[in-house]
Amino acid sequence: MTWVGLQMLRNDRAKFAAMIVAVSLAVFLMQNQAAILATMLSMTAAQIRDVKDADLWVTQPEVECFDQVRSLRDIELLRVRGVPGVAWAAPLVKIDAIGRSDGGRLNTVTMLGIDDASLVGLPHRMRVGQADAIRERDTAVIDPGGHELFFPGEPFRPGRSIRIRDRRIRIVGVSDAAAPFTGLPLLHTSRSTAAALSLGEAHLTSFILAKATPGSRPAEVCRRIDALGGLRARTTEGFARDAMRFYGSQGVPMLFMVTIGIGLVVGAAITGQTFLMFIKENARPLSMLKVVGTTDRQLGRMILLQGALVLGLGSCFGSAIAAAVCDLVRTQPFLRSLYLPWEIALGTCGALASVTGLALYASFRHVRALEPATVFR
Amino acid sequence: MVSDDPTAVRCTDIRRHFGEGEARVEVLCGVDHSVRRGELSFLVGPSGCGKTTLISVIAGLLEPTSGAVSLFGRNLGTMPPDERVLFRREHLGFVFQQYNLLQALTAAENAAVPLLAAGMRRLEAVDRARALLDRLGLGSRTGAYPRQLSGGQQQRVALARALVHEPRLVICDEPTAALDHATGEAVMELLATAAVHPDRAVLVVTHDSRVYHFADVIAHMDDGRIVRTEAGPSSPVPTSPFPSTAPA
Repeated sequence: MTWVGLQMLRNDRAKFAAMIVAVSLAVFLMQNQAAILATMLSMTAAQIRDVKDADLWVTQPEVECFDQVRSLRDIELLRVRGVPGVAWAAPLVKIDAIGRSDGGRLNTVTMLGIDDASLVGLPHRMRVGQADAIRERDTAVIDPGGHELFFPGEPFRPGRSIRIRDRRIRIVGVSDAAAPFTGLPLLHTSRSTAAALSLGEAHLTSFILAKATPGSRPAEVCRRIDALGGLRARTTEGFARDAMRFYGSQGVPMLFMVTIGIGLVVGAAITGQTFLMFIKENARPLSMLKVVGTTDRQLGRMILLQGALVLGLGSCFGSAIAAAVCDLVRTQPFLRSLYLPWEIALGTCGALASVTGLALYASFRHVRALEPATVFR
Repeated sequence: MVSDDPTAVRCTDIRRHFGEGEARVEVLCGVDHSVRRGELSFLVGPSGCGKTTLISVIAGLLEPTSGAVSLFGRNLGTMPPDERVLFRREHLGFVFQQYNLLQALTAAENAAVPLLAAGMRRLEAVDRARALLDRLGLGSRTGAYPRQLSGGQQQRVALARALVHEPRLVICDEPTAALDHATGEAVMELLATAAVHPDRAVLVVTHDSRVYHFADVIAHMDDGRIVRTEAGPSSPVPTSPFPSTAPA
C-alpha cells in the first residue's frame, strides 16, 4: 500500500513540487546561515588553529582572543622556557599598521612577526612561493585576501612591495592562511622585520608559542605556566574555543539564530500546511481505502513514507544548493574560509524533519478520524 | 472463518440515530432484513429513507445504536474494530456511485487495490486485476488512467475492484446513478453476470427503477424501515424469509 501512497503523491504534482521546494529552500536557508555563523566563529580562531607546530599559547592573563594584544615582557619567554614539560617556546609578534601598495591602495594590515630562528608560526601551506623566504629582511608573504585587496584582479608577481611605516616590504609569496575574522590583509614576516616596523614599544612579543615535551600533557604544562603568575597558558584548541566564545557572546550568533529559526518555522509551516492540505483533499480516496479494508497502520505507513520522500528529496536538493553556493562563494579570496560542516547539514535536516513530523502526525490523526462511511455520500 | 449459513446478511432490529436532544434524528427504526447467498438483492426507496446508513451498518462502517448484524453467521457487533476491518477486507466488495477510483493509478492498479491492501505483491495483484478486467471487457484499457475512461468504463473498473479478491458479499451504492440509461443497463448486466455467484450475495442500493428487473429480491425502504419485500422479476426466490416491519 505504501506504493499507492507514493503514486497519490506523485499524481498531485503541484503540491508535491511545492513541498519539495519549501523543504529545499528552508534547508538551504538554514544551512547557509548556519554555515556563515560557523565560519565566522571559526574565523575568530583561524589564526590560532593555523599554527600547527606549537600546541600551547601563552598570553597576558586577560587576553581572550587573537585580536586582543597585550605585549609580554621578553623575560616571560625565558620563564616559559624554564617550565618543566616545555620542549621549546618562541615569540610571536602581532602588529596592526597601515600599508600602501605601489599602486596607491591603502589598507590596514595585520603583520605577524615570526621568530627568525625557529620560524614557528610560519604558514604551513602556500599558494605561491616559499614561506621561509621571509628570513630575508623586509620581506613578507601575504594571504590571498590581502593580495586581492592590494593588487585586485592581478596574479602574483615577484618584486612587488607594500609600504608600511616608511619601509618597503617586499612580497615574496602568497600564503594559504585561513581568512582572519577582521578581514584585514594578513602578512607573515620575520620577527626582526616586525621589530624594525615597531614604533619603539618597550615590548614586542604578543604571544608565546610553546610545545610540550613528548609524554607531557599540554593541559598539565599549561597549569604549570599559569602557576608562574602573570601569564595565562592555553592549549591551541582551548585558546581557539575561548576566542570563539568571546566573539560568540557579542550577540552576532543571536541574529543568525533568528534567521535559522525563521527558516525552520517557515519551511516546516509551508511543508506541513501543504501536506495537511494534500491529505484533506484526498479524504475521499483515503476513505475509500479504509472501506476496502486498508488499516490505519497501513495508512500511517503511507503517510510516513510520503513525508519521508518529501523531506528526503527536499533535504537533498536544499543541501546540494547550500553546498554549491558555499563552493561558489569560497572562490572569493575574502570568503575562502566558508565551509558547511556535515553536522550542520545533518542537524538542519533533522530539525526540519522533527518539526514537519508534527504535521505528519496531525495528518495521520486526520486520516484516522476519517469516517469511511462518508464515501457513500 | 465464515459459516455455511445460507443467509449472507441478517439484520435484526437495527436502530441508528444521529445527534442528541432536539437534534436527534432516528435514521434506522428497527430494521429486520436478510439477504441470501446467490441472491441479487435490491434495497430501494426515496432519498433520505436510510438506505445508505443501512448499508454502512451492514458493511461494519457504522455502529448501530442497537440491534445486530451478522454476515455469513459472524456477528459484526462482537468483532473488535481491527478484526472487523480485516473481515471487510476479505469478505466484502464495494461499488460506489462516484466510482471512487484513485486518479494516480491505472485501471488495473485501481482494480488491484483490495489485493494490495491484503498484502499481495504488486505485480501479482495487478496481473490478477488485469485478467478480471479482461473478463469484464476492459482488456484493452487496463493501462488507462480514470480520466481517460468513460463513466461506464470507470464503473466497470470499480466493479473489478469489488470482485478481484472474490468477496462473499458485494455492496453497491447507486451503481447506475451517474450513468445514462444504456450504460447503466450494461453495468447492471455485467454485475448480474459477473458478481452473482451461488456462494456470494450482492446487495444493491438504488432508486433507479429502470434497473429493477435485474433484482431477485427488492426490499422497499421508507422512514428508516423496510416497508415491503418482494421477489424481483428475475427471482427464483418467491419472498424474503423475513416479514416486513412496516406498520400495519
